Amino acid sequence: MLEFNLHYQWDDFKAHYSGSFDKGFTCLLGGSGEGKSTLLYLLGGFLKGEGQLRFDERDVLSFEANERPITTLFQSDNVFPQLSVWDNVAIGVHPSRKLSLDDQKRVTQSLKKVQLDHLSSKFPGELSGGQVQRVSIARALVRKQPILLLDEPFSALDPALRREMLNLVKEVTHEQGLITIMVTHSPDDALFVDGKIVLVENGKLVAQDDAQVLKGNNRNAHFERYLGR
Amino acid sequence: MKLFVRSYWLAFGGLLSYLVVGLAAFVSLLAYSSPVEWLGYLQEPYLWRLIRFSFLQALLSAVISIAIAVPVASCLYHRHFWGRRFLLNLFAISMVIPAIIAILGIVMVYGRNGVLSDVADIFGLYGLFGILLAHVFFNMPLAVRLILQVYQMIPDAQWRLASQFSFGRWYAFQIIEWHYIRKALPGAFVLIFMLCFSSFAVVLSLGGGPKSSTLEVAIYQALRFDFDIAKASFLSLLQIIICSSIAWCVYRYSPALAQDISVIEGQKSDLKGGKVSMCIDVAACLLALLLMVPPFLAIFIPVLSSLFWETLHDDALWRALLVSLKIALPSALLSLLIGLSVVVLARASLLSTHYSKWSLRLEQMGNFVLMVPSIVLATGLFLILRKLGIGFDYTFWVVVWVNAVMALPFVIRSIAPVFYQYEKRYHFLYRSLGIKGRHRFVLEWPYTRSALAQGMAYALVLSLGDMGVVALFGSQDLLSLPLYLFQLIGSYRVEQGACVAIVLLLLCLICFYLTNRIVGGKIARI
Repeated sequence: MLEFNLHYQWDDFKAHYSGSFDKGFTCLLGGSGEGKSTLLYLLGGFLKGEGQLRFDERDVLSFEANERPITTLFQSDNVFPQLSVWDNVAIGVHPSRKLSLDDQKRVTQSLKKVQLDHLSSKFPGELSGGQVQRVSIARALVRKQPILLLDEPFSALDPALRREMLNLVKEVTHEQGLITIMVTHSPDDALFVDGKIVLVENGKLVAQDDAQVLKGNNRNAHFERYLGR
Repeated sequence: MKLFVRSYWLAFGGLLSYLVVGLAAFVSLLAYSSPVEWLGYLQEPYLWRLIRFSFLQALLSAVISIAIAVPVASCLYHRHFWGRRFLLNLFAISMVIPAIIAILGIVMVYGRNGVLSDVADIFGLYGLFGILLAHVFFNMPLAVRLILQVYQMIPDAQWRLASQFSFGRWYAFQIIEWHYIRKALPGAFVLIFMLCFSSFAVVLSLGGGPKSSTLEVAIYQALRFDFDIAKASFLSLLQIIICSSIAWCVYRYSPALAQDISVIEGQKSDLKGGKVSMCIDVAACLLALLLMVPPFLAIFIPVLSSLFWETLHDDALWRALLVSLKIALPSALLSLLIGLSVVVLARASLLSTHYSKWSLRLEQMGNFVLMVPSIVLATGLFLILRKLGIGFDYTFWVVVWVNAVMALPFVIRSIAPVFYQYEKRYHFLYRSLGIKGRHRFVLEWPYTRSALAQGMAYALVLSLGDMGVVALFGSQDLLSLPLYLFQLIGSYRVEQGACVAIVLLLLCLICFYLTNRIVGGKIARI
């Protein structure tokens, strides 16, 4: 379980996030500028917050981004165009890309998992948009971190491809027992992955529920306001 | 902060080797000054004449260079004529050509036996006219380049609107171009003004005596001929105060230049061109050609003479060439390492929550040297070494270090953009995967090598052409090619000087090309 009680201030924007995330898929919903990505960046270690951040009873707030038990997929630029697919995944194990035989096997297996093993010598420029995203998912797999943060990495893909990617992440989340937290603007995506949803408003977590409430009529006032009803 | 210093200790080392040594050099020079004499210096009419002339020549050089550069840049942006590439290449070469070569070219064209000696007869080559000719030769191309960079910032949509509303060139200039250019002019003015204010080789060679001398040359004379360190330190302080005050005023009150909308470039729409705009374009380009081409051509005239081959067999030439290379290679490497240290630290603070302001400050530290005369730094450093009892043994390294820091602004300008670009794109991914230090350098190498090569090539060429510090410490054992050339011009062996100038020019071009190719690889920006 990932527990947090974090304060963050940037100019006039004051945020205080308090809560916890369990294993499974959680979508962070909220309007633009409400602080969804800020929470993700605080968890990932890309912003310095104050307070507590605990994973499995261990305080990880003082850890650098790469030392935290977390892998993050960003909105863009998740792969290095100058590296082959294989190297892009291998760099997740060690920046030098000099891997032991076991680690090499892990890279190959994760490429198989995302169905890119036959393209391992290709470069990102030679791949389609969906395949490029699969490379970053393969790297997330090879890192074997228990928490996966997604900052709208599939927002630029067409709906069919986006669903394909979400399916893949959902499958990986369940298979490996990950805590997956995704920032999204789309209630449809949240419904599609069918996990938990958390609503962020003005730097606070104001509501939490199962994604299915987005479909029904039995929602609390915060969700109603967010959906504009 | 501790963590930051620990992570970037190597870069901090590089930065300190620049700042601490520079500061120590300056402080050691000031230690020799005697403030009680300052009032006496200030009452000397010669000093005020020096200041007036330094101001006048720098002001006129900057204004004339910019006044010619504005229409030339506009023409080069809008018209794609035969010879346009040649003109751009000529401008690029003139920016890296050693000052002494251009000076020789100007002497050969406008001097007593030159084809344009009649022009010089009217104004007098040695004095303000000669200095302005040389300064415009170097700085007009620089101004054109800076203004052309501004044109790249004009959103494409504005040209489409101009085309839609049938703007002619004049309206487009008034409504679109001038709006952007005027914001860049203060920066361009300060840069050229400072370069001219602290110009050394040009004023020393073409000044023609105390009547047309500047503060920089007076510092050199005080050190080299009178060894009056107290006076030299006073003059240096004066020069630094004047340069930094002007820079502060202009940057403080000039408008900020920023991209308005996206840089996405679409189909470029041509503007309506009338006869008047055509005449202005032709006149501007002809004037630029007239200023730039004759000095270049003049130095190549002796290449067909027997003197050229005789000069090539002269041992002194090759000894000087070896000395130049011995200074320039370590100097370029050092400059690149210090520049890299500054840029790596500036990059690290670029997206930091607490230290982001340091990014610009660090970059500006690299420009400090524009305000401090190189001979002042060299003398300060020499004094420190002398105190340690090793002064004369290390004059070579003093020249290397000063040449390295004098090239810093150019090195930083060459490498910073590409380093920043990768920081902005991959900052979070690097942090997420723990990619730093050597691994990051290796990962970015395919993209940064071209910029690094260009920075090093600039430093190499600047050091090869330097005639400031080496003139101060020059001796039989430390006679570089530019200094050898200066001695030939001084002894009126201009034709032989032209032969040496060709060798120096070829050396610069070969070194520039090879550095770009070897370090930069196949995609080098040459």
